[in-house]
Amino acid sequence: MDLKTMTEINAPAGYEQPLRRYLLEQLKAIGMEPVIDRMGNVVVVKEGTGENRKRVMVSAHMDEVGFIVTGATEEGFLKVQSLGGVDPRVIISKRVQVGDDKLPGVIGAAPIHLQSAADRKRVLGYGDVYVDIGAADKKEAEAKAPKGTPVCFDTPYVEYGEGYICAKALDDRVGCYNIFRLLAREEQFPCDLVAVFSSEEEVGCRGAKGAAFAQAPDIGIALEGTTCNDLGDVPDPLKVCVTGEGVAVSFGDNSSLVNRNLFRHTLKIAQEQGVRHQVKGSVSGGNEGGVMQRSRQGIPTIVLSVPCRYIHSPSTVCKASDVEDQFELARALLMSL
Amino acid sequence: MDVQKVLSGAAAACGPSGQEMLVAEYFAEQFRPYVDEVTVDKMFNVIAHKKGAGPKVMLCAHQDEISLMVTRIEDDGSIRMGTVGGVDPRILPASRVWVHGREKLFGTIGALPPHLMSAEDRSRNYAMKELYVDVGLCAEKVRELVQIGDLITFNVPSTSLLNGQFAAKTMDDRSCVVMMLCAAEFLKKLVCDADVYFVATCQEEVGSQGATTAAFNIDPDIAIALDGDFAKQPGCSPDATMPMDAAVVSVGPYLQPKLTKRLQECAKNHGIKLNVMVAPRATWTDADAVGLARAGVPGILLSLPMKYMHTTVETIDVNTLREAARLLAHYVSELDAGWEEDLWI
Amino acid sequence: MFDMLKKVLAPIGPSGMEEPVAAVIREELKDYVDTMETDALGNLICIKQGKGENPRKIMFSAHMDHIGFVVTGIEKEGYLRVTNVGGVGLKVAQTRHIVFPNGVNGVVVSEPVEGSSMMKHMFVDIGAQDKEDALKMVQLGDMAVYAPDCFRLGEHRVGSPAMDDRCACALLVKLMQTIGDTKDTVIALFSVQEEVGCRGAKVASFAKEPDIGIALDVTGWGDTPGTTQPEIKLGEGAAVKVMDRGSISNPQLREELLECGKLAGVKTQREVLPYGGTDASSMQTSRGGIPVCTISIPCRYVHSACEVIDMRDMDAALKLLQTYLAK
Repeated sequence: MDLKTMTEINAPAGYEQPLRRYLLEQLKAIGMEPVIDRMGNVVVVKEGTGENRKRVMVSAHMDEVGFIVTGATEEGFLKVQSLGGVDPRVIISKRVQVGDDKLPGVIGAAPIHLQSAADRKRVLGYGDVYVDIGAADKKEAEAKAPKGTPVCFDTPYVEYGEGYICAKALDDRVGCYNIFRLLAREEQFPCDLVAVFSSEEEVGCRGAKGAAFAQAPDIGIALEGTTCNDLGDVPDPLKVCVTGEGVAVSFGDNSSLVNRNLFRHTLKIAQEQGVRHQVKGSVSGGNEGGVMQRSRQGIPTIVLSVPCRYIHSPSTVCKASDVEDQFELARALLMSL
Repeated sequence: MDVQKVLSGAAAACGPSGQEMLVAEYFAEQFRPYVDEVTVDKMFNVIAHKKGAGPKVMLCAHQDEISLMVTRIEDDGSIRMGTVGGVDPRILPASRVWVHGREKLFGTIGALPPHLMSAEDRSRNYAMKELYVDVGLCAEKVRELVQIGDLITFNVPSTSLLNGQFAAKTMDDRSCVVMMLCAAEFLKKLVCDADVYFVATCQEEVGSQGATTAAFNIDPDIAIALDGDFAKQPGCSPDATMPMDAAVVSVGPYLQPKLTKRLQECAKNHGIKLNVMVAPRATWTDADAVGLARAGVPGILLSLPMKYMHTTVETIDVNTLREAARLLAHYVSELDAGWEEDLWI
Repeated sequence: MFDMLKKVLAPIGPSGMEEPVAAVIREELKDYVDTMETDALGNLICIKQGKGENPRKIMFSAHMDHIGFVVTGIEKEGYLRVTNVGGVGLKVAQTRHIVFPNGVNGVVVSEPVEGSSMMKHMFVDIGAQDKEDALKMVQLGDMAVYAPDCFRLGEHRVGSPAMDDRCACALLVKLMQTIGDTKDTVIALFSVQEEVGCRGAKVASFAKEPDIGIALDVTGWGDTPGTTQPEIKLGEGAAVKVMDRGSISNPQLREELLECGKLAGVKTQREVLPYGGTDASSMQTSRGGIPVCTISIPCRYVHSACEVIDMRDMDAALKLLQTYLAK
C-alpha cells in the first residue's frame, strides 16, 4: 500500500467501488476482517488491550471530488456536474478519465482568439464546459458514457521539490493511507480502534454519519486533508496552515467545534511525544468531525489534517512529512486513550 | 508513419517562441528520411529541402509553442510568470508545468483557494498576477536554480480520444508540421518536378518572424501556409468555426485566387473533402508574412480545424490531418512549369 | 560619461528630424571610425573595420529620435492642436514645457474634461495672439519635444526628458571611442524613427547585412512604490533582455552577453519586459534573419519629461560591451 497507488485509483463521491475493492484486498492481506456497512463504508475493528476500554472511531473518507455525466449534446460532448465542490476555474484544459473503463477525455474551452473582454472575465460554469471523448455524435457519447457515469481527473502522482507530493485525491487518501498504517502495525492500542474508510464525504459526509451511529464510538477522530494557502505572498495572519509545519489540529470549523478537553489533550500529547503540529487558523470548511460529533447522544471529536494546497483540484499538493506527522499524532493519541 | 506517435513526440518537445532549439532538432530528424537536405537556420527554422527542377514551393507550419516565463521569485519561493504568446489565463489554475531553470523542475500552478475568497472574487477568473508556480522549494533554493527569464512549459501528456481524435498541447501548429511530414512521405510515391521546401517556422505566435526570414532566404515562387483553425465546439459561434472532418482552404485578398482554386480542384479530383473559409482581411498566420517576402509570393492557406485552441488539450482529427497531407502531396506534385500562366488573369 | 551624456541630450530631435543629434555624434566620432555615412532616412552609420580574418559584422543600434508632438491644427485664438509622435503618455504630458526646433516654446494643456483626457482634448499654448500670429511661429506638421534638460538626482542618477534613447547614444559613442582595434567589424548605427516603429534600423540592417544585432535602449523599472514589474532595479547593472513585445533575444547570444558581464566584473540583470520593443525587432527580421539581443539601461518614468537613469548602469553596460568586443 502506498500513496501513489491510492491516489491514482478513481473513486469520486458515490462511486468508491474501485477503492473499496482495493482496500478490502489490502486489509485481508494484513489479516484484518473488514466489513462493508449499509452506507458502503469499509469498517475494521482492531481490539484494544485496556479494561473498560473506549471505542475510538477513526475515520477517513475514501471518496474524492470529481464529476458525473448528466447527458450529451447532439454533437457528442458530455455534459457534467461536479461530484463535490470543484471550482470550475480549475478544470479548463485538463485531462480526465470517464467511467470504469477510464476512457480518456479532455475539458476544453473556447479559444482565446474568440473571447470578448467580458468572456475573459466570466467564469465558465458547469453549464458551459463539456467533457470531450471524441464521440462522433450524441448516440456514441451516450453509449460510451451514459448518464450517471463518473468522471475523474487524470493526473499522475508526482513527488517533487523538497519532499512535496502533487496528485489528485490527496484529500483524503492521506487519511485512508494513515488509518491503514495504524491497522497494519503490530502494536496494540489500549482502546478499541474502529477504523472507518467512509464513503461520500464530499457530498455531505453521508458515510460517516451512518458509521458513527452504527459504531456508537466514545470518541471520534477524523483524519483529513485540509485547505492550505501558504504560498503566493499571503500575509501570515491569513494563512490557514502551512505545509511542512506538521499535522494541523482544528479547534473547529464550519461543521463542528472540537471538544475542548480532547483538543487540549491532543496538543499535550503532541508536545510530549514531539510530534510536529500546528493549530489550523481558520474555521473554513467542514468534514466528518461534524457528523460524528452530532451522532446519537453526542461524541467528543477531534480533526487531524494534512495541509493540502490546491485542494479539490486535479493537482493537490501536500508535504510527505505532514502525512507522517498526521500518522504519528494519531498513533500517539490512540495510545493515550 | 505512426502519426499519433510523431504527434506525441512533437508535443513533448520544448520549443517556446524564440527558443525552438529542441523542437527544431526533433523535426529535423523526422524530416531527414523524406528529403534531400535538412538545415536549421539562425532563427531556428527547420528547412527541409526536396530538390526538383520545377517551381520553387515553400510549405510552412510553425513549430513554436505558447508558454510562460519567470518574471519574479517571491520570498516564499513561489514563482510569478508572464506569457510568451497568447496564453489563456483560464487554463492555468492547477495546471502542471516544467520550469526550465538550471535543472528542469516540476511545478504546479497555484492560486488562493476559493474557500478563502469573497463571493465577488470567486465569480471572476483568476488574473495572471494572482497565479504562481509552486515548485515545492524554499525561496533560497528557487533563486539558486531559477532566474528571471527562464522558460516555463506545460507538462501534459497527449491523449488519444475516440474516432481518431487526438488531444495535446502545441497541436497549434505542430500538427501541421506533422501534416507536412506526412505529405513529404506521400510525395515520395509520386512524380514531382517541384523544388519543395518544407519549413517548420519559429516565432509565429509572437509575429511570424521565422516565416518572414525563411521566405526571404528561400525566395519561393509559391507559398503554402498551414495553420490551425477553430473547429466546431461548444461555446463558439457556428459562424466562426468549421467541422473537424475536413481541412479548410481560405479565400480572400491575402491569398492567390487561381492557386486556391487549383487546390479545390485537386481535392475534388482525388476525392478529398475540403471546406472553404473566408478571410476578408489578414489571415493572422504565417501566410501574411510569407506573401510579402521580397517581391511578393503568391500563396494559399490550408488550415486544420482544432478544438480548444491555445489550451493544453488542442484536439485534432488525425484522419483529417492525413487526408490534408495527401491533398498537399498531390497539389505539389501536379505543379508544373506552366503554373504561372494566366495566374492573375 | 556624464559629459558625453550631457552633450547628446542637448539637441532637439523628434522622430524624423534627428539631424541635430547626428551632428553632435558625427563630431564626437570622426576620429574614431573608418567610415561614416548618413542614409536616405537619416540614420548615422559609423563603421570600424574588423582586423581579424573573416570578421563578423556586429551592429549596435541606439536611436536618436525622441517622442514628441506634431502640429495638426491651429485654433483661431492661436492655440495649437497636436497629436503624438511615438508613445506619449497624456497624463504625464499635461502642463509640460515643449520646444520646437526653431526655438518656439509651448505648454501642453488639456481642456477640463470628465474622466481621462484624450489627445483631442489637448492643446499647446505658444503665447500666440491669434492664428495669424501662431502661423508666424509654427507650421502644420512642425514637431516639438519636451524641452531639453539634464539634472543630477542624488549621487549616481541623472534625469532628462530624452534619456530614451540618448543615454544609449552616449553609451555607443563611448564604446566606439574606447574599443581600439577589434577582430570583428563594428557597425554603430545611430538610428532614426525608432519611436514610430523601428524604421531606421530596418533599412540600415538591410543595407549593412550584419551577422549579429545588439540594440542599446532603455527599459522599464520595478523599484518604486506601487511598481514591481518588470523585476528591474536602477543601479543593479545593465539589463540583458530575454524578451519584450518586439523581440525574443537569441538565447545563445543572450547568455554570451551575460557571461561578458561576469567577465567584466559588472552587475547585470535579466530583463523580461511585458511591453515595448527595440531596434532589435527590426534587425532580427531583416533579410534572412539574424541573432539579436538588447542591452538595456534601466530607466524610471520612461516616456515622461523626467526619465531617470543610474550612471553606474551606464558604466556596467559599457564594460560589458567592451568585453564582448574584446573577446
